[in-house]
Amino acid sequence: MAEIPKIVKQRLQANAKLADHPEPNLLSAFLERSLGQREQSEVLRHLSLCMNCREIVSLSGAQPNVAGVVSLTPSRAAWLLWPALRWGAAMACIIVVGAAITVHQRHESVQHPATRASLSSPSKSTQAIPDMAALSRSPNLNPGPVQAAKQRTSRSNSGNHRAADSIPVEMADAKMPSPFAEVVPGRAKDAVAPSDAEPATGGAAMNSPTSGTFFPDDLAAENLAPRWTLSWDGVLQRSLDSGRTWQTVPVASHLILRALAANGLDIWVGGKAGALFHSSDAGQHWAQVFPTANGQSFVGDIVGVEFRDTLNGKLTSSNREIWITSDAGQSWQKQ
Amino acid sequence: MGETSARMESVLADIYIKSKCELCGLSRAQFDNILAEIGRKYLPADSTQNEVCDFYASLRVEELALARACATGNEHAWEVFLTRYREKLYEIAGYITKESSTARELADSIYADLYGTVRRDGERASKLASYTGRGSLEGWLRTVMAQEHVNRYRRQRRLVSLDEEAEEGAQFATAEPETAIVADPRVEGAVDEVLAALGPEERFVLASYFLDERTLADIARSLGVHESTISRKLDKLAKSLRKQILASLGRRGMSRRQAQEALEVDVRDLRVNIRSRLAQETGRPAFSKKKAETPAGDGS
Repeated sequence: MAEIPKIVKQRLQANAKLADHPEPNLLSAFLERSLGQREQSEVLRHLSLCMNCREIVSLSGAQPNVAGVVSLTPSRAAWLLWPALRWGAAMACIIVVGAAITVHQRHESVQHPATRASLSSPSKSTQAIPDMAALSRSPNLNPGPVQAAKQRTSRSNSGNHRAADSIPVEMADAKMPSPFAEVVPGRAKDAVAPSDAEPATGGAAMNSPTSGTFFPDDLAAENLAPRWTLSWDGVLQRSLDSGRTWQTVPVASHLILRALAANGLDIWVGGKAGALFHSSDAGQHWAQVFPTANGQSFVGDIVGVEFRDTLNGKLTSSNREIWITSDAGQSWQKQ
Repeated sequence: MGETSARMESVLADIYIKSKCELCGLSRAQFDNILAEIGRKYLPADSTQNEVCDFYASLRVEELALARACATGNEHAWEVFLTRYREKLYEIAGYITKESSTARELADSIYADLYGTVRRDGERASKLASYTGRGSLEGWLRTVMAQEHVNRYRRQRRLVSLDEEAEEGAQFATAEPETAIVADPRVEGAVDEVLAALGPEERFVLASYFLDERTLADIARSLGVHESTISRKLDKLAKSLRKQILASLGRRGMSRRQAQEALEVDVRDLRVNIRSRLAQETGRPAFSKKKAETPAGDGS
């Protein structure tokens, strides 16, 4: 890191002029990027001159458990200023376009016989090539565990690129009620995978979404770090536009949530009477987890959920019980 | 005009529903008054009704309703607030103070302020009444706690006993020698000129890193960017500052060699009345993680 002359440090310090300090409302909104452009600049200008407020912002911004409040996405413009990377990006674009053309040509050559077959046998072709429009209209169609996993993988790999033909499938998936019909006590991960045997009606054991529309692909498409919050009446909400608008994310009906932990795609929420839910795909699917330790179940109201990473987490109950897991909720220990 | 008023009415009605005020005992008129008060506080007087509507729509109205209902002493709202934030208050205090007993003391003190034990004119003055819904309630609580912690720290520093000072060696520290070398006013002028041309973000990054000795990650978190961005920005800034100051000194009649020498002079050797220039907040960094060296020539 390059140093600056000491005279610069001294003048930087000496030229600080104090104005009225911004109130906590503005400082916290500054950290959460909820201010308008003008106010954001004004607060930043003040911070650039006031060590006291920088101190406060630094202390309040250093809290973990600020679920996705701060986007750590590197500035794209800054990256592109680097000439080597700019050339690299151009080369990558050429390779991607070339690969896409090749794949498209192969796909066409495979698709032609299928289209011919569909003309002769319509019912067979419906099975071979699903009607995407119909998929998008049907709220209960499930792409199946393998396809869903592929879609999730492709989402995570492709970053902000959304494959055009996957949109209807994703929308149908999003509208599908949360598949925690297979609730496995103490095992969060097993319960996440959608069941093949699930009835087309959506499953009576599942709680249907309460309100709002949730499109997980928007997240990848816009390349925004989502923010998560709980409304004061215990509903999970998500924002994709830095907290300007919030969407309700259905978890389970008639459940008041009181604690939230977000760690990338892993979301944990807890509420009354030990109700604990986990989603490993940014809220698309939810699984209820029943923490048990030595035959004892967690029954208190959950008031705190904390996951430092995807594996290690801590539950706090209203009666100050603390339970910890080191394997993503598969087993628990009472402290 | 009629259309605008109709839009305002519709926005206020939507916001009232969204805020779930009825659950915590706030009437529509009460909530409209709260919104109007917040609007007056933040919006310019000549704002159009559309701007006002957009501003209201951007507020965290559910949390605002909860906070204001708590401030009025609504029992149900307090129950909800405690369930959601009691544990968090202690957690936040722990992160801020890094010490359990101080954390508990800080959280208890904030809790008392939030509840409003201080009575003015027979009314409970709750700190929650100052929450305006610009950011999340949790974020506001964190900032309020951080502010309280910084204030306490500063108060405490003023009350350090002589024994403690002696232990720290401050009492018997060698006094700064009265320096003889006079700073060339051209250097100060050139540096000031270049610093004045910096944007707020650049100045924030420079001050945070070089004065407050914050880490790259810390600065990046405050600005919502990756720390590698801050690293690159700092590198670029340091180089460009030096270049611009040298150029400015050249314009002020210094040769390249003189300018370079002037920049290398240790500021501690310069007789600059820093005390008169220093604002009270710009003293030694109070909470830096990295060990802060005593600012040169701070006049003490």
